[in-house]
Amino acid sequence: MIIAGGTDLVAQMRAGIVHPGLLVDLKLLGLDEIEVDENIVSIGARVTHTAIIESKIIGERFPALVAACRRVGATPTRNRGTLGGNLANASPAADSALPLLIYDASVVLAGLGGERIIPLSEFFKNYRLTALRPGEIIKEIHLPIPTDKTEARFIKLGKRRAMVIAVVSVAIRLTVDESCKIQTARIALGSVAPIPLLVKAAEGILENQALTNEIIAIVAQEAGRGISPISDIRASAEYRRNMVLVLVRRALTEISQNLQGAE
Amino acid sequence: MGEIEIRSTINGKTKVLKTKPARTLLSMLHDDLKLTSVKEGCGQGDCGACIVIMDGLAVNSCLVFAGQADGKEIITLEGLAQNGDLHPLQQHFIEQWAFQCGYCTPGMLMSCYALLLHNPNPDIEEIREAIEGNLCRCTNYRGVIEAVLKAAADLNSISQIKERKNA
Amino acid sequence: MPDLDVVGKHVASVGSRDIVTGRAKYTPDLSFPGMLVGRLLYTANPHARITKLDVSKARSFPGVLSVLTYQDIPGENSFNLIETDQPILVEDIARFQGDVLAAVAAEDEDAAQAALDAIEVEYEPLPGIFDPVEAMKPGAPKLWPDRDNIYDRLLLEYGDVDAGFQEADLIIENTYATQLIEHAFLEQEGAVALVDDNGVVVVYAGCQAPFQDRQQIARSLAVPENMVRVIVPYIGGAFGGKWEIHVQIYAALLAQAAGRPVRLIRTREESILTHVKRHPVTIRYRTGAKKDGVLTAIQVEAIGDTGPYVNAGALVMDVVATHSFGPYVVPNAHLVAYTVLTNNPIAGAMRGFGMLQAHLACERQMDELAKALGIDPLEIRLRNGLDAGREIPTGVSILNEGSMKACLKEASQLSGWEKRGQEECQPAHHLRRGWGVGTILNGFGMGRNAPDSAGIQVDMALDGSVIVRTGAVDFGQGLHTILAQLTAESLGIPLSSVKIVRPDTDMTSDAGATIAARQSFVSGNAVLRAVEPIRRSLLETAEELTGIPREMLSLREGVLFAEGERLSFTTRDLATKAWEKNRQLCSMGYYGMEYPDGIFSESSYANAGGYFTFSTEIAKVLVDIETGEVIVEELVIVTDAGKVLNPRGAQGQIEGGALMGCGCALMEELIVDQGRTLNTSLASYLIPTSSDVPMMKIKFLESPEPEGPYGARGMGETGIIHTPAAILNAVSDAIGVPLNTLPITAERVYKALQSNEKGLGE
Repeated sequence: MIIAGGTDLVAQMRAGIVHPGLLVDLKLLGLDEIEVDENIVSIGARVTHTAIIESKIIGERFPALVAACRRVGATPTRNRGTLGGNLANASPAADSALPLLIYDASVVLAGLGGERIIPLSEFFKNYRLTALRPGEIIKEIHLPIPTDKTEARFIKLGKRRAMVIAVVSVAIRLTVDESCKIQTARIALGSVAPIPLLVKAAEGILENQALTNEIIAIVAQEAGRGISPISDIRASAEYRRNMVLVLVRRALTEISQNLQGAE
Repeated sequence: MGEIEIRSTINGKTKVLKTKPARTLLSMLHDDLKLTSVKEGCGQGDCGACIVIMDGLAVNSCLVFAGQADGKEIITLEGLAQNGDLHPLQQHFIEQWAFQCGYCTPGMLMSCYALLLHNPNPDIEEIREAIEGNLCRCTNYRGVIEAVLKAAADLNSISQIKERKNA
Repeated sequence: MPDLDVVGKHVASVGSRDIVTGRAKYTPDLSFPGMLVGRLLYTANPHARITKLDVSKARSFPGVLSVLTYQDIPGENSFNLIETDQPILVEDIARFQGDVLAAVAAEDEDAAQAALDAIEVEYEPLPGIFDPVEAMKPGAPKLWPDRDNIYDRLLLEYGDVDAGFQEADLIIENTYATQLIEHAFLEQEGAVALVDDNGVVVVYAGCQAPFQDRQQIARSLAVPENMVRVIVPYIGGAFGGKWEIHVQIYAALLAQAAGRPVRLIRTREESILTHVKRHPVTIRYRTGAKKDGVLTAIQVEAIGDTGPYVNAGALVMDVVATHSFGPYVVPNAHLVAYTVLTNNPIAGAMRGFGMLQAHLACERQMDELAKALGIDPLEIRLRNGLDAGREIPTGVSILNEGSMKACLKEASQLSGWEKRGQEECQPAHHLRRGWGVGTILNGFGMGRNAPDSAGIQVDMALDGSVIVRTGAVDFGQGLHTILAQLTAESLGIPLSSVKIVRPDTDMTSDAGATIAARQSFVSGNAVLRAVEPIRRSLLETAEELTGIPREMLSLREGVLFAEGERLSFTTRDLATKAWEKNRQLCSMGYYGMEYPDGIFSESSYANAGGYFTFSTEIAKVLVDIETGEVIVEELVIVTDAGKVLNPRGAQGQIEGGALMGCGCALMEELIVDQGRTLNTSLASYLIPTSSDVPMMKIKFLESPEPEGPYGARGMGETGIIHTPAAILNAVSDAIGVPLNTLPITAERVYKALQSNEKGLGE
């Protein structure tokens, strides 16, 4: 088994979920830099959540990613936990997965056979199941730098204010043109499906629209249709359904206020 | 798998340790090096009692395997006081009653020390955030926050005095 | 009272330097040459007959030195407080998930785990009893062949409750429910045991009752008590969860069998699964009152699920009953408390000890009453408040001079209660603000029918420095600091001259358990008695040396004073001279609590107290009505704990207790399915982090407790007791919907809002 930061692995070993006979530490591969190449930001898989939070370019261009990383665990978890590890662990509640999805991230997967790059939206296959083939690791995460006016929000609902797995989380990005009409909309939901989920149908409603309260309400409703939340020790499926509505509406409203404020 | 050898700097001294690779840094520090300030409270990164500083950052030592500690610079609470003098953080922890049973205190002090290494002038929210990973069941964290504010003030005035001396 | 130098002053705690340097050693930090790792095998089935238990393979594993089963116990295979009904090692039937089948000692963790894995067990599942209400029904399957599922029914009748309800203008009835709570002390239970050169079994353990532990260990090892020695190192929190013996007996058995020291520490998962919890209690509460809010009658039925073994169960339910009327004048009462046996996790002592559950119900009822009658919630409490000289339904008269109402009024003042109508009750479209009050009757001490005494020893050396040997455990509440302060003050020496020797059954006297907020009082009084002969020796000597009558002499700061004037004699001079004159410089003090007679003493568990601390808490909350999330903005707490012996320690006790109470109110619950706990880590059992802390304003009133040391009362449990009540009252106020079940997670608040027909609309 691969180990990066170990922040998820140890708990799973203690719970008897995994019994690795061999742990392979990736540290000799480096993969811990954030680089900018033309209009792509390339984040090495071993970049920690703390490094993301402290990165100037990420803060400027991908603020929702910083916001999400700030809510991962607590400081010591963030100092060790890596972006690649968070994705490979593939929890439906993975905080960093949502902003990466809304910012159209791709992942570079590398193995003995070579490298390939796939959209992050195709990386999550099913509950804790990813597109990684045997012998492959996540090498880098690529983020295209938004060229037009973009606003994004990340909201996480948890049972306490820190060190908590999301009950429901939401990340939304809107890219607008000069007249504030929406060109691109991305809505990602966490903890309401087997994987971190982009809700395309809801996104579709927003395209070429101006953001009004009516549209927001319709989008929130639609976002709730594509999900399949479960009841677990943290929350019931019904509560999660209701909170998707609330959080999507809230995120869109806040984005709307930011867009208006910026005018 | 047999034993591996790791070489790390611990509280300023180079240490070479032979151990099974599945050992955690917590276990090596606590049991092999008898640095008993590093405590286990949960064994899986949920409580912060085992926090040490590794290459300048606060980490849960229960989540670091032996091999991952190779080549690192590690500080535990035993390394905080210099020449028998308490660090201002330690002094103010006492003064502000920032602990009761004291079990979370070593990890708490390490988180606070790590914070001040990077942010010599934290505000209340920054301190709160820095210690979110340190569970304390006895206090309401208020004493810790006040202690850090006061220690930061002390350290800043000490460094100002040093600067003036050097100038 | 003359000026005090040390008592009531801001001083550092006695172990503080050890703690901040990391030198303080807790049980898991101890190591001895040849020390083995001890582990326990717990039952995989919460209610089953063990049809096969084969440890032969485990015994032959390399590195495994001892594997013990029920056949290997020299003495009694049973333990527990009150009734020794819990097996150390299960012989036939496992009755809850924490029952132990075998104990192993091995060279290291891997060998110990391999031994556990190699033990072969077969279970014949038995029908489980997981609902206390079902367990109480006649015809329900019996958990024990010779015991009813209703282990105890406590009945307390006071006045004429039927007549009282007749008189009432309004009667309201509600049911309240609290949850199973985990102590979550940072240091898990553990013990290090070894057999010393004299054949004495020495057990180091973080525990609350070293002498009771010694008794139980000796009983199981079949040795005299003085051949067992229990030593308490620094202990990482307890909160009642380490009062009952935990792993000490196993460690002792293994050390004896293996012939080497054994360290046995529970993992966090094992700890959450197996040690005692806070009782979940359901309380049906019926209140009758006149239209001016004055109470005429209460009828309370409380059901507590204690798991299969009695432990402190009946004691806790006793306390629920005897505090269910709160700090009010209640002329007529009918109180019933059931202690019920099930196959659920065992419940025992936890900070608050039934008072938390009782006051949740009592205080919510008062608010519901206030709402129904249109009376201000603080006002209705004042109208019913206990004044000095009034009697409570246990037949005890309140001696505290009017401090219940004083606390209420001060809390009202400090929180700005009068002005709350002027505050924004809807600061944003999705937010609602609410205020709630919880005011309590906090009994401290063991109560009338339980042993409640302490011994303590004090020795002065010839240089005037002092050693205090106490058997009372300090698990962070600052007890040892208080004992040092009392000693230093009485002998007129600096605090730094006092050394506290920690509990050790060979070296210190029995002070009873550190529970029930009793130790400052009992051990405090004991130490004040202990220092008297030493004081006398010093002053007699001083009188001889100076010719000044001893009434005019005093000892302060290590020096002799005559009516405020500093003389040239130091404590060292006096001690040396006293010694030369054969005057006593070593002493022992003993104090036994005396409780007033009450009418209520029929049940053997009747814990009618006589010592009470009053306190009021006002909570201000914001509720997000779209998500149900609750933010506690501020807690104002006014406590009358008598003389505050250690201001920082006292403040810490209230603050820490209040935060624990926030956790209990909002986020903590053990989720149990068919007798198995589902959330067994600190990631899934959530306690407040530094970002979950409300603003707290703490104030102490200091009306003197006549019997207390310098007039102090016990207050270690006060902070937590009123917090869930105050918060639930505040949230109910904010959303206009009653909330009666703990915890009020966001989802529960949300559901309450949804199912409220009126709703709040947009």
